[in-house]
Amino acid sequence: MRKWLLALAVMVLGLGSAAPVRGGTLVYGRYADSLFLDPVFTDANLDIWIMQNLYETLIQIGPGGKGLVPGLATNWGFSKDGKTFTLALRPGVKFSDGTPLTAEDVKFSLERAKNPDNGAWNFLLSSVNTVAVKGNQIVLSLKNPDPSLPAALATFNSAILPKKLYVAAKGKDEKERAKNFAEKPVGTGPFMLKEWKRGSSMTLVRNPLYWRKGADGKPLPYLDAVRFEIIPDDSARILKLQSGELDGAEFIPFARVAELQADPKLSMKLFPSTRVNFIVMNTRPKLKNGADNPLSNLKLCQALNYATDKQALIRLVSFGNGKPMTSYLSSSTPLQAPQPMYPYNLDKAKQLFSASGFGLGLELTLQIVAGSADQSALATALQQMWEGIGVKLKIEQQDSATQNARYAEGDFQMQFNYWTDDIADPNELTAYATVYKNNQSFQTGFQSDEVDRLFAASQQETNPAKRAAQYKRIQEIYVNAAPMVFLYEQPFAVALSKRVRDFVQIPLGNNVFVNTYLEK
Amino acid sequence: MAASAVSVPKKASRRRFRPSLVTGLVIIGIFVLMALFPKLIAPYSPTTFDYQAILQGPTAKHLFGTDNFGRDVFSRVVWGAQLDMQIALFTTLFPFLFGTLVGSLTGYYGRWADALFGRIVDIVVTFPFLVLVIAIVAVLGPGLKNMYIAVSAVGWITYGRLVRAEILNQKKAEYALAGRVMGYTPSRIIFRHLLPNAITPAIVYWMTDMALGILLGSSLGYLGLGAQPPTAEWGVLIADGKNFLATAWWISTFPGLAITLAGVGFSLLGDGLADLLRPRG
Amino acid sequence: MNRWSYVLVRVLQVIPTFFVVMVLVFVVARLLPGDPLTAILGERATEDMVVRAKHELGLDKPVPVQFLIFLKDFFQGNLGDSINLKVPVTRLILERMPVTLFLTTYAAVLAALLAIPLAFVAALRKDTWADNLIRGVFQLGLSMPVFYIGLQLLTLLGARLRLFPVGGYGNTFGEHLYYLFLPALTLGFNLAAILMRNLRASILEVLQAEYVDFARAKGLRPGLILGKHVLRNALISTVTLFGLNVGGLIGGAVITETVFAIPGVGRLMVDSIFGRDYPVIQGLTLTFALLVSLVFILTDILHAQLDPRVEAA
Repeated sequence: MRKWLLALAVMVLGLGSAAPVRGGTLVYGRYADSLFLDPVFTDANLDIWIMQNLYETLIQIGPGGKGLVPGLATNWGFSKDGKTFTLALRPGVKFSDGTPLTAEDVKFSLERAKNPDNGAWNFLLSSVNTVAVKGNQIVLSLKNPDPSLPAALATFNSAILPKKLYVAAKGKDEKERAKNFAEKPVGTGPFMLKEWKRGSSMTLVRNPLYWRKGADGKPLPYLDAVRFEIIPDDSARILKLQSGELDGAEFIPFARVAELQADPKLSMKLFPSTRVNFIVMNTRPKLKNGADNPLSNLKLCQALNYATDKQALIRLVSFGNGKPMTSYLSSSTPLQAPQPMYPYNLDKAKQLFSASGFGLGLELTLQIVAGSADQSALATALQQMWEGIGVKLKIEQQDSATQNARYAEGDFQMQFNYWTDDIADPNELTAYATVYKNNQSFQTGFQSDEVDRLFAASQQETNPAKRAAQYKRIQEIYVNAAPMVFLYEQPFAVALSKRVRDFVQIPLGNNVFVNTYLEK
Repeated sequence: MAASAVSVPKKASRRRFRPSLVTGLVIIGIFVLMALFPKLIAPYSPTTFDYQAILQGPTAKHLFGTDNFGRDVFSRVVWGAQLDMQIALFTTLFPFLFGTLVGSLTGYYGRWADALFGRIVDIVVTFPFLVLVIAIVAVLGPGLKNMYIAVSAVGWITYGRLVRAEILNQKKAEYALAGRVMGYTPSRIIFRHLLPNAITPAIVYWMTDMALGILLGSSLGYLGLGAQPPTAEWGVLIADGKNFLATAWWISTFPGLAITLAGVGFSLLGDGLADLLRPRG
Repeated sequence: MNRWSYVLVRVLQVIPTFFVVMVLVFVVARLLPGDPLTAILGERATEDMVVRAKHELGLDKPVPVQFLIFLKDFFQGNLGDSINLKVPVTRLILERMPVTLFLTTYAAVLAALLAIPLAFVAALRKDTWADNLIRGVFQLGLSMPVFYIGLQLLTLLGARLRLFPVGGYGNTFGEHLYYLFLPALTLGFNLAAILMRNLRASILEVLQAEYVDFARAKGLRPGLILGKHVLRNALISTVTLFGLNVGGLIGGAVITETVFAIPGVGRLMVDSIFGRDYPVIQGLTLTFALLVSLVFILTDILHAQLDPRVEAA
């Protein structure tokens, strides 16, 4: 009862003090600069995670990253047979240059996004056959029912661009036009790009024509401007925040989280994310160089999983900021079904190891990216843990381009890797990690006819309960086959000055400044 | 003018106590002992974790404290000496020998040898070092040996230039002309007469270069292209402690002190040698 | 050989060097494992995408053909577009090079200002407390990793005492001097230490040479001896070292620029190497080559000026 009263009081007081303040420039320290501000041709999280401040999608991800909410479309729905998807365009929306948003812009943008010649993301819209305009309505006719379509339409690559401006951009081909358009991007988002000094800073200013209204009834956003400063060095970024030159800084090393939590001038945020860390194991019978591959032995893969003390890793590497994985999908991913996994159990690991038939002193090689303190800490810890069952782990450091090349060729035994979802649906990672024909299941070589069948069915399953059951089974099979050493999930660590309010980084990684304000 | 006043320098004859030479020798001697017998000096294993002793400050039990894995920093510094003394020697030995040879030959003969040397210098110095290191490491695999190759490929240039400049100086001196008049072979003139007088800057620089070699090794280790974990050299130890400067200063400070002390040792040695080798009137 | 024809020869020598460097960097960049596409796309790159993108970029052609295309573009003043940043390489270089040039020049000037006078003090007062103090302090510059010095300076003078801004570059010349003081000091410290040590050793050597005794015996005032003989001779090896270390200075700029968040070419170089951004690697290497050659020519000329005995090589 008391607790309840207290909660109510906090809520009332909270609401009372929550009148957002308008104005001001928020300076935010990023570890690296964006590369290319085109939603279709972008390759990098550096673009994706800030792009929706400039361009918007028809459907958007709900506040805090949960559920889907209306964006440039006010409502949407599937037809009975699931083969038509209709959206109603929000009336009265304008691009930041003043031209009104029309259904033609939507048709143009979606057709561009689903074109298989364009960029890396068109597969998200692969079910879309044609895009038609009916007055204020956009009608997508589908090749097959697609339960992930609403989530796909909430993903950055289906952002809406102004057709007229884009077509008018100079360039001999699509890619060159995209380049020129992205130099001075125009969208319906809450901010507009004002200045971009590559590698140094990027300034976004308020879009006065933005359609969404704030708590005070006037158009959002509250901030006059957001300036991104590029500070690659972690320590320097934190120093700048502490000296007051920044209002926020991303990618705080976990080693420093406790220290910043204790700083009275800062608020240390740990936003839930879809980031999962794991070790990819090559489970093919032969290695690239033709040698026999011990990791094709299921018992050995399981033994390594059991021999891995996830809690200890979390304590050592991310200083307590994380939780053990409960599937190959993150716990923030829709349809994730928690699995029993491989709780740390040295005896069981030893049993499985001896049952696998390999002798003590078996040598395995783990590749990590050179110069990453976290990865080398992790590898050193694993080295020590696996020694306990008689495995000798060799660590090989290489620069990331080399590692990626060797990944693509399947030329490795184990590699550290991680994943962050780009779409609020389990299908992206599932396609990459469990379906052999796509990149041979994250280059693990994992192959299961049942998983392939279930995944194909789930891609067209419009009954949510049935789709969930299919995903549950896929996760069971995959986790039991142990083509990865499943490690842990980790949050996004962002430190903000105390006066920054209502900033969020959603589980997919997007930085949302539309509701952010600076307290006086 | 000054040029005509130069005569044949005499060898140092007076023997006296040389504080910098002795101090330098003692410091480097201690590190060499650490490098040769780490097991006898280090109280703990440098790689074993101790979850009960994470991030502890310096105590009698852990002289330099422990790191974020509970490893004893003192033991890690001692074992690090092994790698760093190796790095100091092997990143500089070949450059010193080869650079001195090339420098004296090109300085003495001049003409096309000198011109060729000049162009090679231009190319090596203008080619980005990092591309070279990554290329070498990518082809041969990461590790100390390949780092030595990469560093040596570039490092000899400095010695070559230094020795060449000095040889050019000495060649004009009377004693060298005298040697030529007396019909000595070029190799005798170069190695018996010119080089002993021209090599001092190279030796002094060699000592500095050993300290620089350790620093370079640590920067490359920092990029992951040097020593591979779990063995760690001092530069990597410093980098490991970077995130703990405010909360656990000891992790990076003690390896930092070790690098500094080694640097001081090498340069005292350099000064001492310069003193010893300097011609006296 | 007269001085001007010597300079001309030196300039002409740069051309073949330049060409060799051009070929080398072109080939070596392509020998690095991986390619620009997998470097950025990582596991998201499907084979089909990589093949298509390679074709668009012309990376599927044989290397000699690629080189000829590069050469043709080069003579038209076009260094190509950055694969990762999607902007012309020339624009990137023009934007960032001035920053790095300013920083390195600033560092070199600071290094000389620190090293030259203090080397004289140390040498003339050899083995006194002043000598030991100067050598001790400079020793730190030789013995501490650049990022460590940088961070300590930042923490102390920047964040604690707030005497200097923590990073950034500023907009006016005065601001540049102010913003870049700590980075330039960090970067120059190492060079200053090398210069000081060497200068001190040379001064001592020159002071003990007989011609100085001779001059002293002739009754020349000590100041005159210093200025005329010692300084000139001691500076010879210093100038050599200085020229040689300019390359290192640009190398050190990489780490300094990272720690102090300065938007120069050092960081760009590292990123483009790790991202296998061939056009940027090529463009920057050629620019470096040009700059370093320039400095070399200048030091050679200076060398010849200081020491009339040295003939042009």
